[in-house]
Order: sequence, then C-alpha cells, then structure tokens
Amino acid sequence: MDKGKLNISNMIIENGPEAKREDSEDLVEQALNKTYWRSFKELYNDPDFKDAVKYEFTKESEEKPDLSKLSGISRRRFLALMSASAALAAAGCSNYKDKGLVIAYNQKPEEVVLGLPNYYASACTGCGSACGILVKTREGRPIKIDGNPDHPVSKGKICTKGQASIMNLYNPERLREPMFNKLQTSWDEANKNIVNELKSASSSGKEIAIITHSVLSPSLKKLLDEFKVTYPTAKIYSYEVFNDTPKQNAWFKSYGKRTIPALQLDKAKVILALESDFLGNELNQIENTRLYSQTRDVMSKNEFSRLYAVEGAVTLTGTNADYRIRLRTDAIEEFVICILNELVNRKKVSAFAADSRVTSVLASYNLNDFAAKYYLDLKSLNQLIEDLTKHQGEGIILAGDKLPESTHIAANLLNEVLGNTKLYSSESENVELMPLSTNDELSALDDNMQKGGVGVVIHFDTNPVFHFSPDYNYAEALKKVHTVVTLTEEISESAELSGYVLPINDPLESWGDFKTRTGFYSLQQPIIAPLYNTRQKEAILLNWKDLEKPYNEKIYNDYIRENWEKNLYPVFGSLAPFNKFWLTILHDGVALVNEKSESAGTFSTGAFAESSRMKAGSDFIVLLQNNNSVGDGRFASNGWLQELPNPITKTVWDNYAALSPQAASEIGVNSNDLVEITLGSKKQTLPVFVQPGLADKVIEISLGYGRTAAGAVGTGVGVNANVLISKAPAITERFYNNAQITKVSGTYEIASTQEHYPIDSDPLLKDIQYKRGIIREGTYEEYKTNPKFLKEKEGRLNLQPINKPPVYESKDYTGYKWGMAIDLNKCTGCGACITACNVENNIPIVGKDQVIVNREMMWIRLDRYYSGTPDAPKTSYQPMLCQHCDYAPCENVCPVVATTHSNDGLNAMAYNRCVGTRYCSNNCPYKVRRFNYFDFRDHFRDSIQYAEPLDLLANPEVTVRSRGIMEKCTFCIQRIMKERQDAIQENRKVIGSNVKTACQEACPAYAIVFGDVNDKESEIAKYREHELAYSVLEEIKVLPNVTYIAKLRNVLEESK
Amino acid sequence: MSLDATFTREIPLLEGKSSFKEIDDVIAKPVESKPTIKWWIAIGISSTALLIGAVCLGLTFWYGIGLWGNNQPVGWAFDIINFVFWIGIGHAGTLISAILFLFRQKWRTGIARFAEAMTIFAVMTAGLFPAIHTGRPWLDGYLLPYPNQHNLWVNFTSPLLWDVFAVSTYFTVSFVFWYVGLIPDLATLRDRTTSGIKKFVYTIFSLGWRGSNRHWQHYERVYLILAGLSTPLVLSVHTIVSFDFAVSVIPGWHTTIFPPYFVAGAIFSGFGMVSTVLIIVRKVFDMEHIITVNTLEKMNKILLATGTMVGYAYGMEFFIAWYSGNPVEQFAFINRAFGPYAWAYWIMISCNVLFPQLFWFKKIRRNIPITFVIVILVNVGMWFERFVIIVTSLHRDYLPTSWAMYYPTMYDIGILLGSFGLFFTLIILFARTLPVVSMAELKAVTENAQPKIHHNGSE
Repeated sequence: MDKGKLNISNMIIENGPEAKREDSEDLVEQALNKTYWRSFKELYNDPDFKDAVKYEFTKESEEKPDLSKLSGISRRRFLALMSASAALAAAGCSNYKDKGLVIAYNQKPEEVVLGLPNYYASACTGCGSACGILVKTREGRPIKIDGNPDHPVSKGKICTKGQASIMNLYNPERLREPMFNKLQTSWDEANKNIVNELKSASSSGKEIAIITHSVLSPSLKKLLDEFKVTYPTAKIYSYEVFNDTPKQNAWFKSYGKRTIPALQLDKAKVILALESDFLGNELNQIENTRLYSQTRDVMSKNEFSRLYAVEGAVTLTGTNADYRIRLRTDAIEEFVICILNELVNRKKVSAFAADSRVTSVLASYNLNDFAAKYYLDLKSLNQLIEDLTKHQGEGIILAGDKLPESTHIAANLLNEVLGNTKLYSSESENVELMPLSTNDELSALDDNMQKGGVGVVIHFDTNPVFHFSPDYNYAEALKKVHTVVTLTEEISESAELSGYVLPINDPLESWGDFKTRTGFYSLQQPIIAPLYNTRQKEAILLNWKDLEKPYNEKIYNDYIRENWEKNLYPVFGSLAPFNKFWLTILHDGVALVNEKSESAGTFSTGAFAESSRMKAGSDFIVLLQNNNSVGDGRFASNGWLQELPNPITKTVWDNYAALSPQAASEIGVNSNDLVEITLGSKKQTLPVFVQPGLADKVIEISLGYGRTAAGAVGTGVGVNANVLISKAPAITERFYNNAQITKVSGTYEIASTQEHYPIDSDPLLKDIQYKRGIIREGTYEEYKTNPKFLKEKEGRLNLQPINKPPVYESKDYTGYKWGMAIDLNKCTGCGACITACNVENNIPIVGKDQVIVNREMMWIRLDRYYSGTPDAPKTSYQPMLCQHCDYAPCENVCPVVATTHSNDGLNAMAYNRCVGTRYCSNNCPYKVRRFNYFDFRDHFRDSIQYAEPLDLLANPEVTVRSRGIMEKCTFCIQRIMKERQDAIQENRKVIGSNVKTACQEACPAYAIVFGDVNDKESEIAKYREHELAYSVLEEIKVLPNVTYIAKLRNVLEESK
Repeated sequence: MSLDATFTREIPLLEGKSSFKEIDDVIAKPVESKPTIKWWIAIGISSTALLIGAVCLGLTFWYGIGLWGNNQPVGWAFDIINFVFWIGIGHAGTLISAILFLFRQKWRTGIARFAEAMTIFAVMTAGLFPAIHTGRPWLDGYLLPYPNQHNLWVNFTSPLLWDVFAVSTYFTVSFVFWYVGLIPDLATLRDRTTSGIKKFVYTIFSLGWRGSNRHWQHYERVYLILAGLSTPLVLSVHTIVSFDFAVSVIPGWHTTIFPPYFVAGAIFSGFGMVSTVLIIVRKVFDMEHIITVNTLEKMNKILLATGTMVGYAYGMEFFIAWYSGNPVEQFAFINRAFGPYAWAYWIMISCNVLFPQLFWFKKIRRNIPITFVIVILVNVGMWFERFVIIVTSLHRDYLPTSWAMYYPTMYDIGILLGSFGLFFTLIILFARTLPVVSMAELKAVTENAQPKIHHNGSE
C-alpha cells in the first residue's frame, strides 16, 4: 500500500476502532503508518490516549468517587442556588404590564376582607366648613372621599376640593422629615431647639405668634389657650383669605351677635342673590345646593322657587338664576336701598314704614331713576318687587361675602321688611369658636415683627407669605424674627422662608373635633397611619406645651379624648359610658347634641341709619374671587383640581382677568392679551378672558394662583392676585373700585376645555344648542299649563325610528338594563361629578399643554351653552358622558371588537383588545370618548404621577389604562359588578337602585339618577317616562340611555 | 410624425422609427449603465425625506401618537389623510394596465409599467398608515382574522376591517399583474446582461421565458385574466375606503355619494401623480419619443374628465345638504366652505376643479411645463380634499362644546414628507433596476410591428 495515498476504504480501516487496538513497539514506525491522526498524542501513540480510546469512561469515573475531592457545594446547596437563581431570573424579568409585587397579608386585620372596601367617617379640613366625610379604604389605604350621609350639613355630599383632597395624602412631594435651614434634622433635635427658643422668647418678653387658619376645633382651642398659659407671650392669629367677616360684622351691628343662622333655603319661594355665589364658592355651598335643588324638583308637586341674581361677576349662582340682573358690584347697595324704598315708602309693606330713621334714608333713593341709570330692565325689576311682596316670609335676600358691611345691613333690613327672617333656622346657627384676627391685629403683629419684638413665629399649617397683602411686607418682617417655624404638609412660600419646616400629618392621618354649627360636633379620625416621619400639627404644639410628656402618636388623641370626657361628654347627657360614647361618635363621624342657638336680638334700625353708604363709581372694579379648584392656593399642588374646568369659563390651569366684551373692546384687548391692573400702588399683569355677562367695568380675578413654591405641579400656575389685596381696603379685602387697567404687550394662552365662540356674531352658531335638540328648555308657566308642551313643541325632533328594522341586530334586554337620568333643573354645573369620576376611575392628569390640544381625559364633562346676547347670556349646563346608546355607533366601527354591548345595556370597553384606531371616537356623535394619546401619567411633569406613593391612590377596581387606548365612562361598571356579586351571594335579583355611580353619589343637587330602567317601579324608570324627558340628538336614532330632564326656567316671558 | 397624417390614421405611439434593438437599448440603458450624478442626487433627496419620516415615526413609536396633532374630536388627521391620498395615487396604475388594456387603449403602452409600479409603491406607502396610526401599533395583528386562543374574531361590520381586506387584495393582485408583465422584459435583460450575478437573478425571475409562441400565448391569456380580475378592484378599493366615512354618522361623512366620488377622485389623483413622475422620467432618461406628448395629452383628457366628475361631486354634496333639510348636515358644508378651514376647501376647489379646466384647450394639454404645474396642483388639491373631508367634518360635528381646531405638528409633517420619501425612493430604485417601460409591449406597437390595416379594410 502506498503510504502517501489512501483510498476511502483504507481510511475507514486505518481510522476505525480496530486500528487503534494495534500494539506496536516502534513509535516512529507506527507514526508513519498512521495516515490520519487526531492529535499528537494519537500520532505518537501516547498510552493515555490509547486508554482513553479503549475505555468509554475515564478511570476516575469508574472508580468510587472520593467525596473529599469533590467541591464543597452539596447537592442540596446546588439545588438551592439553582432555584434561587431561577427565582431571581423570573422575578427580575418583568414586562410593562407587570408593575411591582403583590403582597398578601401575613396576618389579616380583623376588619379587612380582601377585595371589599371599608368606610370610615371623618371630617374634611379643606375650608372653614368642616364637612363630614366618609372615606373609602381598600386594604388599608384610603382611595375615595365622599360626604358622610349622617352629617347634618353635608348629608353625604362633598365639594370638588374635598373629593380631590385625597390626592394630597399621596402627594409624592409631601415633606417627609423635619428640616432645619433646609437640612434634614430629627424631631428630637428640632423640638429641643424650638422649645428653647419658645422659652427664651417667653422669658425675654418677646412675642410668640401662632398664625393659623380659622380654629374650628374645640380641643385645638383649648390647646391653644393652654399653650398661652405655658408661654405667656404667645398670641394666636387666625386668618382666612375667603371669609365672611363683613357679613358677621353686619350681623353684629344688626342683631347684636356675630353668628349667622342657618338658612331654610328649601322653603324659599323667592331668592334674591346679591353678588352672592351661594351655590358656588361661598361657605356651605353643598348644603345650599341641596336645599335649593329641592325647590326645583319636577317630581314633587312643589312650586318652583324663583331665583334672582344681581351681580357684577358671573357666578354659578347667577348663571343658574331665572332672572339675572347685571349690575356693577358697587351699585348693589344702592339697588337694595332702592328696593327698600319701593317696598317701605311706597308700598308700606311693613312696620318699618313708620320708622322715620329708616324712611328718611330711603327717601332719597328711587328705583326708576336707578334702573334708568344702569339700563336695567324695569319689567324684571317690577317682577322682583311683586314677587318679594307676594312671598313675604317665603323669600330670602342673600348678600355675597365680598360685599361690605353696609350692604349686608341693608340686605338684613330688606329681609326684616319682608318678614323673611322666618326662613332663618331657629335651631341651627353658625358657631365661631375663635374670631378671625382683624386687619388691625395682623398689622400690630407685623409692626411688632418689624421692630424685632417677636421671638418666634409659628405658621400653623398656613402660608401667610403667599396670602398676606403686600402692605404687610410680611416676608421682610419674617427676616427680623429669630425663629420661624412652619408646620406644613408640603413646601410653601412660607416654608421657604422658615428656619424650621416641620412636616405634618395629612388630615386623613389626623385626629380632630370640629364645631361649626349648633346641634352637632364633627369628628375626625385618622384613616391611615402616617406615611412618613410626620406628626400631627396639634400634637407638635401639645408636645411643646407639655415638655415632660414624651411624644407618641397617640398624644393628641388622648388629649381630645380627655377634653371630651371632661368637658363635652357631660353636656351630651349620654347614658352610655364614655368609652362607648366616644367610639360611637368616632364611628358616626358626628355627635348630635341638643342645644339651641342664641336668640337673636331685634333688628337695630340704627345700624342701618348710621352705616356709611357705598357710592357707586364709574371706574373699573376688581373682584377677587374664590374658585372650585385651588381655593386660596392650598390645593395648588393637586393636579386634579388644577385641571378641573372652571364651571363657567371652562378654563383650567390658570387664572385671568375676566372682562366683559364691551370693556374688552374699549381697552382694545381680546382673550389671551395681557393687561396690567393697577389698584393704587399695587400692580399685577394678567391675561384677559372675555366673559359674556360680566357687568361692564368689572374685573374678576381668581385668587389662589401664582404660587411660587408649590412643588412640581403647582408652582408657577397662574398669576398671584393676592398682591392686589390691601390691608386697609376701602370696601372689603376682595372688592376694590377705582382700578386702572391698561393693555400691555404680549399674550398668554389660557387653556380651556371648551372652545369659546362668539355667541352673537355668527348666525349659524346662534342658538345651535336649541336647533340641534341638545338643550331643550321651557318655562315653568308653560309646563304648568301643559305638562306635555316639550314633546308637542318640537315636532321635528320627535321622529319615529326610521331604521326599522335596524341595520344591526338589537338585543331585547329582558333582564335588568342600566340607564341614567340627569335632571337639568337641579344641576347647577358645580363640577363635583367630574372630580368624583376622576377619583373613582383613576383618570390621569394631562397638563395644560394637552388641554390646549384638546386631549383632556375627564370621562364626564359639563357642557356650558350660552344663548342670547353677550351682555345678558342665558346659560345652560349639561353634564355629558357616554350615553351607552342601544345602537351605539362606536361599536360597529371598531375593527377589533374592543367596544361591545353587554346584555344589561352597557357600552363596554375591552381595554386589552383596543389597538387605538380612534374610529369609535370619530363616530361618536357626543364625542365622549377619551384617547390616551400619551401615557399621560408619564408625560405630565416628569412622570410625577408614577412617583411613589401615588400608585396607592388608584382604585383597584378600575384598570389603569395604558398609552394608545380608548376609554370612556363605564357607568361605574365596578359598582354594578359589586351589586351583581352581592345579588348572587344573597340569592336575589339585582336591584338597580342599589348601584350608585360615582357622579351620582357626589352630586350635591341629587340631579343624577341611575338604575334599572326595566324596573318600572324604579325612580329611573319614572324619570325616563317623564314629560320633560328627552335624549340629546334624538333624531340620529342611536337610542342613548342617558335621559335629560329639560330645564324649566321660572320666568314669565315666552322662552325658546 | 409623418406629414401625411390623416384623421383616420392612428397617431403613432412611438415617435420616429425605432428598431427593436434601439428600443431595448434605450429602455435597458438605466438598468445596465452606472448611475449618473442626477440619479444620486435624486436618491439622496428622496432617502433624506424617508429618513426624516423614519425618525419622526420612531419617536412616535417611543412616545406615542400624542406627538401628532390629532386630538378630541379630530381623531384622524394626517395619518388617514395620507392613507387615502396614497391609496388614491395607486389607482392610476391598475386603471391604466387593466381597464385601458381591456379597452385596447394602446397608448397606455408607454406608461403602463411605470404606472403599475407606482401603484404598488403607493399602496405600500398607503398600507403603512393604517398600521402606524393605531395607538398601540405593536398589536396591529389584532386587525387580522386569525385563529387564536382567546377565540376572538375581528369585527366584520367595521369598514376599517374591510379596508384591511380591500387593500391587501389590491396589493396582491396589482403586484402579480405587474410581475407577470415584467417576465418577458426580465428575459430580455437576462439575455442582454454580461454580469454573472445579474444573469442569475434575471434567470430566476424570468421563470425560463424563451419567448416561444406557446409562452406568448399563455402570457397573453394570463395577462387578460389578471386584467379582468383587477378591473373591479380599481372600483372596489376606493369604494371601500370611502365606506370608512360613509358608514359613520358624522355629518360630512355620512354620504351615499362617497363611493363613486372617491373612485373618480382616486383616478384623478393617480393620473396626476403618474403625469408628475413621467414628465420627469421621460426627460431624465431621454424617453421623450417613447412617452410621447400624445400620451400625455390623452392623460390630460382623463384628468379633465375625472376632475370635472369630482367637481360635480363637490357641488352635489352641497345640493344634497341643502335638499335634505338636515340643519346639521347643512352646517357641516357651510362650515367647510366658510368656516375656519375654508382656506383648505378653496385650495381643494381651485386645484381639483378650476385648474384642470384649462385642459379644454389643446395648446395647454400639449404644453409640458403647464401640464406639469397643473398635475402638481392636482396632487396638492387631492391631498387637501382628504384633509377637508376628514378634518373639517370631525372638528365641528354635533355638539358644539366638543368643537376644536386641529393643527399638525412637525411630526405629522415629517411623516408626510417621509411617505413621499418612501414612495420616491422606491420609484428611483425601480428606475435603476427594472425597465420602466415595457419593452415587449412597446415593440408590439412600433410602426409595422402589427399587420397593417388598410383604409379599405383589407389586411
């Protein structure tokens, strides 16, 4: 065989297993014989290699293993490590749908049933009303605030601010640790130093000033009194930006007491609101709305009340009025006296006609001259006089809290003249535990601070640096105070200038008791343990007062308990032992007590005769307004409230100077132009918003905006109008005349959720809401004469179904079927439903930029329509939400069946299936669908909505929607499912009235009714069959399941 | 052109007498030669536009379609405008290759290949938009009916789903049609080329074409059948696209005139785009004698006819809005013509209806520069037609409280630009790699290629 060449068969033989077995002595020879070799070891016939080839396994492996030589890792340990790494890998890999861990209770608290909410009664401290609230918690975390149904004032309802305030608890920017000079410190350290400061101030005779908002809590009052005993130089100052001090002063002069009785608005036949927004932004708006709406109930046989509003601003009350008389605010006093003159001197309606002190004042006023001067409609004025005369003792005149004392006295006199004091409740009146500090007192404090006479200033959850008039120069004064302590939940302008910033508990983490009215106390209990290293503000004071007692979380609880046990419990005369009594009132959130209000003195005519008279000018007037969103600025960091549309203008995220169209054209400005407003030496530049219906030369500006230190959300939103406030105002703190307004260069875009259209200029747009059958209205007269007038009046809109049979097969809904009715007679447009829906349904905040491009996400919106002239527009409100149409046009166009109809009549959304073609939204005639153009939680303010612990706020029953999908009102399907579960568990039928949607639950006017429309006995069925019931856009035959009850205006002339 | 032309004599489709070799040389030249500097400039511009579009689209995928100007109530805007616009462009190709083929319009020969290619590229561009316009494009698969473990099926009542079928069918048939037409030319290229790789590729794609009598017989038969199949598609695709709007309840959309109106508009815009591109191509590739003025004049006549049809539809919409007595409908149309987007409406009217009327004049029909300007205006006008239909109908529908304005963002404009970039990049690549005019068909229409028909009727 030739060694150099091989044929194939040789290859196999030579390299086959047999070949390897050859044993040869001569390695070289062997090597040469090898034609193929795999390694040098083989080539040179290494014995090891030969062995390796011979035996399948290594020698070692065939021998018994030597355990000592093996690695130290045992089999168990290996498995443990392997499973640990597998678990780690599994846990480490997550997708975008899987956020975080779900941790079950190790030891379940007794009262918690997983998946079911618990409710706790407490009290809201958002404003001076201290409404009772009911907090819904899930697995220990508060997720929603509603009114406490047992509370005599709020009766289960709560305003927009109260509802949205739950977000403050979870605000990611809450302060978490005590700070000294912007550095973190410990509570012990801070307390020790502050107490030393307090002691040294006290001993050196320097003042200790505690600046608080109104004190509503008896226990806090006691604590403050005791604090003053411990530190004799301590003084308590309290202030509210929105207060009714002029009104209280007027009551003091009129009746000899400052407290104002509660009103029985539900019994009123005529209401005259004088620049009073009693339905909107004044105290007790929830109660007022409830009582007022009872006089507008088409289901009861009661006569409708008639609401007159005389106002310069455009308020929610004014836009709801049957007759709205547009009048400069500074002429209102004259107006009242003219009316008085008409009634007393000419008609001699009361005993005051004999009182020369009164009649002589009145004689110089004449209504006709007044009406001519201000171009008022005499017909409606005569109507007013007639109504007031006719309904003596059944009417009420309400003067707004911006108006000066003298106007309030005149209004009181008018009520006296007409015997309207009958509507003042004899049982219930407002209680004032501690009067607010007067401007003189605050000035004295300020002077003392400037002089260096104040050792310690404690901001007791207040923000005077932002709120106080620039006249005080408060920020400068603070620099002269040795120790400034701010107790606050969040950063604020005052905290910025404070040495000590102490983080306090949220109201939902706090104890408290409140007394706002005779007849009951409201109780506040913590719903959740403090999330951070915070302390309750009262407990901090208590700790400073009782130095020997060490701090613990319960000290203020113990303090309140003790106060109740010693001082208040005996008053109740309860038979139950204190402990039981205490737990009961905590549970109820309210403690009813049998007490009478002080009897009021008779009206002092001297007060009227002697009071100075407000003279109407002809210059611009500035009205500094409250709002339903940020309040005095304390809710500035709450995005839900910042994004809540103003009920009238629908603007969000800003304040502005509202001007009447005529005034705007005089100055040559339009909406979004900038103007400078000058009040004496004070100036501020604001964007203009042209507001139809505003009295000429009245400028309305909302306070609470323009915060400079309110965290990522609130800082720099709007313009600070507090700088216009004077410490010694000529009229009142929120009402100025002799203002100058000049156009300045530049523009600023105001975001609005509803485009603003000229209502008069374009004949195509005029009354479009009536022409299209969106708003249908009538007068109360018409309705009384012919209850069916609405259906008979507009024949065109009552087209019978033209698509019979319909294009798509319809369900017959034999079981229960859900429907909603909204009574537009009751709805005032306040926006409580919007906030309730936001909280219930995890609606994201989108931010101003996204509102400008029309991407707001609110599931329910409050449409506002104007008709008539820009000077005297008639306003209509209409809550608009998914109509859950039987022939829903959105459903048949979705290519992926992501929106479908359920057997109980719901238009459902399957978020998981939605790819986001937006076809459904295009085809929705009501445009109620909302699309997630971004992951708005991520898009807004550097994803603050994803920051801890805001995720705890989410309602676990409602999916948090991702980017790129469509969403809309579900009729609170989670609540429907709860009822269904309960029905199955209790083996009964589903009861429609058991389900309350979030908007319905929140509506203070009870305008929303929800239920099973197939249950003919139910309220909803009755509403649907009511003569005034209509659906919006009936003629396109999509068969919506939201029924509107047409608004009846209680006016005498023919309406549309 | 010979001087002794009479009215009864057909105008020759090719100018001058070209031999078969000359035809091959001219048409195959761009494919066989190195790209010129003009070509590099053209591809540079178009691919830059494509890149801009791709970046905008990438950012859109990352952040969400909130980067666009779409809002509540204008849920559709540039995305669907572009979709309808490009689908419309795609109509000329099939019309020229199928319907004109069936009608034995031989003048189509010079432009058919190009028009077909444009159809395919336009449909590809158009097809992109339904896919990217969704909020969650990564779930676009849900739009296709496929068996799945959820037992979920698509919604056959949704016109958007009909679109999926219509567009994909249209694309498939158009593509097959185009490819079948290419086979003889691919064989020619195979035979001409000297490069081994090119030969390999052409060999595969010419499917063994040898030009035998049998081959030609089969080829002609298949071509005829495919032409027959494509013809209804020309009408159906845009009909179905118009259903997206016509089936809805929105005033301005809910209109029975939409199917014929959309088809006429699509052919109009398609011819506009074919002319635009061909006028450039015949210049750049020196094919003025192949794509002749006569052909362009015929296309201008079709533009005039379809433009007038579209104008009729615009008028009829107004008439019906008035005649219906429906105030919401009436408002929608008055708002179109005189509302905040009136400028878009009048751009549409002038570009689509007024300017094409100039084609009544033969001088203008045969004037290449003027034709070029007008066809560009037609493209602009047809884009605005879709803008008017989609945006102005949505921005003011039933409830005035939801009314809003729509403003495009730079991302919208970038993606629109990118769609042109994609279309022209594909066109330019096509012009370099495949014969832009059908060599085989062209040879059939040269003078003396066919048996002569004499004036007396004898052959």
